[in-house]
Amino acid sequence: MRTRRKYEQGLSWAGAPTGATRGTHSKRAIFRRTIFLMGVCGVLMFVPLAWKLWDIAIVHHDEYQKMAAQQQTKDYTISARRGNIYDRNGNMMAMSATVYKLILSPLDLVKSVPNKDENGKTLDEEVYNARVAARQDQMVEELMALVPTLDRERVVKQVHNTKSAYWEIRTNIEEEEAETLRAYIAENKTSSYLYLINSTKRYYPYAGLASQALGFVNDNGGAYGIEAVYNELLEGTAGRVYTTRTAGGTERFNTYASYVDAVDGYDLTLTIDTTIQSYLEKTLEEGIVDFDVQDGAFAIAMNPKTGAILGIASSPEFDPNDYSKVTDELLLSQMEADKNEIYEKLKAANTENLSDSELMSRAEAQAYSNAVNTQWRSRAIDSRYEPGSTFKAMVLAAALEEGLVSENDTFYCSGHVQVADRTIHCSRRPGHGHQTLAEAVGNSCNPAFMEIGRRLGKDRFYQYYEAFGLMDNTGIDLPGEASLKNAIWTKDKMGEVELATASFGQRFEVTPLQLICAFSAVINGGNLVKPYVVQTVTAQDGTVIQNTQTEVVRQVISAETSQRAADILERVVSQGTGKNAYVAGYRIGGKTGSSEVKQEEDHTIVSFMGYAPADDPQVIVLIAYDRPLPKVLGANCNETANGVYISGGNMAAKKAGPLIAQILDYMGIEKVYSADESAAVDVSMPKVTGMSLSDAESALKKKNLKFRTIGQGDAVARQVPSASTSIPGGSTVILYLGDAAPEESAAVPDVTGMTYEGAKNALEKAGFFMRASGVSTYYGNTTTAERQSVAGGDVAAIGTVVDVRFFNVVEDGYVG
Amino acid sequence: MARKAKRDLTMEEQLARGPLDLPFLMLVLILLGIGLVMLFSASYYTAFRDSKPPVSNNPYFYITRQALYAAAGVAAMYVVSRINYQHFRWMAPLMLGVAIVLLIICYIPGLNAPINGQRRWLKLLLVAGPTYQPSEIAKVAVVLFFAARLCKRDTEHKKRFTKRTATGRTLNWLEKIGFLELVPYGLVLVTVLGLVAFERHVSGALLVAVGAAAVLLVSGISLWWFIGLGGAGAALVALMYATTGYVQRKFALWLDPWSADPQNEGFQFRQGMYSIASGGLLGRGLGESNQKYGFVPEPENDMIFSIVVEELGLVGAFLVLLLFALLILRGYWIALHARDKFGMLTTVGIITLLAAQVFFNVGVVTGLIPNTGISLPFFSYGGTALMIQLAEMGMILSISRQIPAPRKD
Repeated sequence: MRTRRKYEQGLSWAGAPTGATRGTHSKRAIFRRTIFLMGVCGVLMFVPLAWKLWDIAIVHHDEYQKMAAQQQTKDYTISARRGNIYDRNGNMMAMSATVYKLILSPLDLVKSVPNKDENGKTLDEEVYNARVAARQDQMVEELMALVPTLDRERVVKQVHNTKSAYWEIRTNIEEEEAETLRAYIAENKTSSYLYLINSTKRYYPYAGLASQALGFVNDNGGAYGIEAVYNELLEGTAGRVYTTRTAGGTERFNTYASYVDAVDGYDLTLTIDTTIQSYLEKTLEEGIVDFDVQDGAFAIAMNPKTGAILGIASSPEFDPNDYSKVTDELLLSQMEADKNEIYEKLKAANTENLSDSELMSRAEAQAYSNAVNTQWRSRAIDSRYEPGSTFKAMVLAAALEEGLVSENDTFYCSGHVQVADRTIHCSRRPGHGHQTLAEAVGNSCNPAFMEIGRRLGKDRFYQYYEAFGLMDNTGIDLPGEASLKNAIWTKDKMGEVELATASFGQRFEVTPLQLICAFSAVINGGNLVKPYVVQTVTAQDGTVIQNTQTEVVRQVISAETSQRAADILERVVSQGTGKNAYVAGYRIGGKTGSSEVKQEEDHTIVSFMGYAPADDPQVIVLIAYDRPLPKVLGANCNETANGVYISGGNMAAKKAGPLIAQILDYMGIEKVYSADESAAVDVSMPKVTGMSLSDAESALKKKNLKFRTIGQGDAVARQVPSASTSIPGGSTVILYLGDAAPEESAAVPDVTGMTYEGAKNALEKAGFFMRASGVSTYYGNTTTAERQSVAGGDVAAIGTVVDVRFFNVVEDGYVG
Repeated sequence: MARKAKRDLTMEEQLARGPLDLPFLMLVLILLGIGLVMLFSASYYTAFRDSKPPVSNNPYFYITRQALYAAAGVAAMYVVSRINYQHFRWMAPLMLGVAIVLLIICYIPGLNAPINGQRRWLKLLLVAGPTYQPSEIAKVAVVLFFAARLCKRDTEHKKRFTKRTATGRTLNWLEKIGFLELVPYGLVLVTVLGLVAFERHVSGALLVAVGAAAVLLVSGISLWWFIGLGGAGAALVALMYATTGYVQRKFALWLDPWSADPQNEGFQFRQGMYSIASGGLLGRGLGESNQKYGFVPEPENDMIFSIVVEELGLVGAFLVLLLFALLILRGYWIALHARDKFGMLTTVGIITLLAAQVFFNVGVVTGLIPNTGISLPFFSYGGTALMIQLAEMGMILSISRQIPAPRKD
């Protein structure tokens, strides 16, 4: 009732029920709405979903899948091991070892800092940035602690370069260090932003030995030398892994994965012998010091019959382990001079208005680049020079082959020859007078060779020039053979004067390698062979992939002619300008050369081409020094500061003799002494003390020893030297008779500058013995003692054997 | 309790023992089966990589749990289907009350169990037990409550107020346009939506709203209310778009997802696209997804459908969608044939909820609609949600029992 009243008063919120129900709609409407929902939810709503799915899965299938594949797959190469390089005896000359690179991804380092706190709440930007900065600083500290040698400034820069995902923090990390780094990475779980990757490093155990021949490897593979030429064989075939991966980067080996193994590179065995190579390099080095050589030197040792290069050296050299570093002192000083020169030039033409320091740094860079290019060059291959008198061997062989000269011919040299409008001098101004062919070759007489050249004529000269391979590159398996463009006049431009000068090897250019091959053809029976440095190519399992056979390009002269030429050339060393290359016991043949360089003043290349043994050549050596510095510049001075006459005979031959002997010794070729030589061979001093003088005399005679006596008596009381001392045959020993006793020691006389006999007498008189070396014959006034093993004035025990090196001044310098 | 003989049963009881709707049941079980298989495929790598307990790198972690819950869920579905659904009428307000209380507990620190800072989770026994979302319960509770009330609309009389006062006249006018009738629903809805939304569970609120709206729509509420509320909702979104950067960003991301930072906002979308595109027409094959290896974020959860497409292809995806469509259609069929209006409204509510979840989930995965974060029924990982889902299916099955047999004439 109360409600009713409230309602009457209009105060009730509840209201009063009426007759009409709220659900006024009929069942029909409800049915319709349900059907509507059914249509929408059961059918219609699936239409856009299906359309979208179709659009993505079918229409954009390729496009999106490509993007998906990019992130899902891992496609990388497995590097193949680079092959090793061995010398002919199997000594390792180049090898590869695994090293590591430490890579930092600053980008991922930032990502490694969570942008949410421990409860999963997103951090404020400032807080987050602070955390990132802190992490970066920490990274710098950790890196510095790990690798203290790093440059902190650089590391800071790298860590903060957050755009980059790849920084090489450190390269060439070796296993030991990698171990600690690996432990650090594992411990701190840094592998998403700091990790190690494998790389390889090339090691050259012999450092600078044969550096230009070996070349080196840079990031793009073999860059120079054998490393470059044989790059494809050495580098092998990289393998490839193609797998799907997880987002974390782990490979998933499923059916989509493909795995192609890497094929390791082939090993090379060279014809080069590290021992011979080291002889060559040592000889070059000595000569450069002895002769004050300015522009470097080169040497080649080859088997003249096969063309196998036993050694090939150029100075200055470099260390392929650190190929961009200039270490050669001469080169460094040259670089310095070069730098100043370039600087002056730049300063003079300073169009960009650069500051002095900028100019200087440019000059520095340029000079440095010149220097490294110089040291990387293999001069024996990539440079040309005027061969000089060494070329006479080819002229001789051609003339012999054509029957234009014979051993019985004589030539007259007055010291100069008139050719057309020119007067051409002989190296020996007064002239050689009458000489046989052999003597003319031995004297390296220019007029004689001009005559031979004239007989040969232009056409045949050209024919042989080409036949000796001097018009073509040798085809050696080393890079950078010099171009032969304009190396010699064309045939039609060759006049009388040109033919005359060419006959003694001037005014045209060849490469050292061409020359040694041509010379080999003269002495090896007439065959021009193709030189090579790689003997065998071997797979890792030992299978020989390739074995180089000697390739005879052509027969240039007959075997008989070759024999005749060789005989004459042997006499160059035994009697002629090559005397200084003589080594007792070895039959060395050869030819000296002194060549002017492009008519530059004070610039001579002195060279010697020698081979041995003369009757069966096993090795041929070409050695040359570029620009021994004359004492006085610009005065046509022919002597160095220490008084060595500048010529192939006085310099190159002198160095070549011991070098060839060393090589032959090493190769195990036995010495064969001539009668003269064997007389001077060392003998063992017999024990004669206590014998009667007559018994002693016969005992000594057996040993080819002379004696003198001191004191009175019949019996030998003491002897100098003591029993079984080795002394040169023909020496005069001292026998003390009666009470006479030898002095303990005495001063050694200075014998330098003396002749053979003079030196021998002086030494023996003082109670010493002399062992001579250096030249073939010790008679004549031109042969003088150059050096003695115990310096004059020094005190030595009586009976000491003093080694004295003799030297023969040869007048074979270039005089045009 | 001994089973009573059929003749001893009342009419009601006999009806409640009617046959289950077999097609509906089969569709549920098929989808559940496919869902479990796909969950295993999608989740084992994630589980394997997860070193934190309770997963501890156990690749079978997710599937084991899900399978156990599925088994429990199927049991629950059966039990629920055996309940005479008329009992739900009185249960509805009770359930709603419980749901609201649970939603409030979500706000109480110490009793709630937030995950990733979101307060939408509770533990079953508050301090222990598996976690669940009270909003899942709220969804059903709202639907049931609305259905239980709205089914009486036809018998509910309009109210009349005095015309003497302005208040009375206003009330009369409000009654006339149907506003007064909506007030209780509105209050309930606003309470529940508010509680859910402020948990920061907008997607949950959206689903509650969809369920409620479906029941309201089918019960015959004037369409103008829907148009008006829809308009108001759109205006609200527009306002938020204009004032907050968050909504703007979401829209920008939706409209041009490819230009978003592929490592950040654009990441999920992109990875989903890659996944679907990789599937192509026939798919990579079951278990062969590449994208589940850490690329697609949470492949066992909201993004599972992208893995389904990748592995089973467009064909497989269409098949799954077809099964869902059939389930939904069969659901509405049951609704149309339900014995009474309560059964009908309940079924419509539950089925529309299911349909909305499918739509929102697949829509997000395919980039059709902005990202909402709604899981895919029967597929996504989430044991309690699956259980509740299956229990809901049980309700529909229970309703299907009482469908009168067609007259054979």
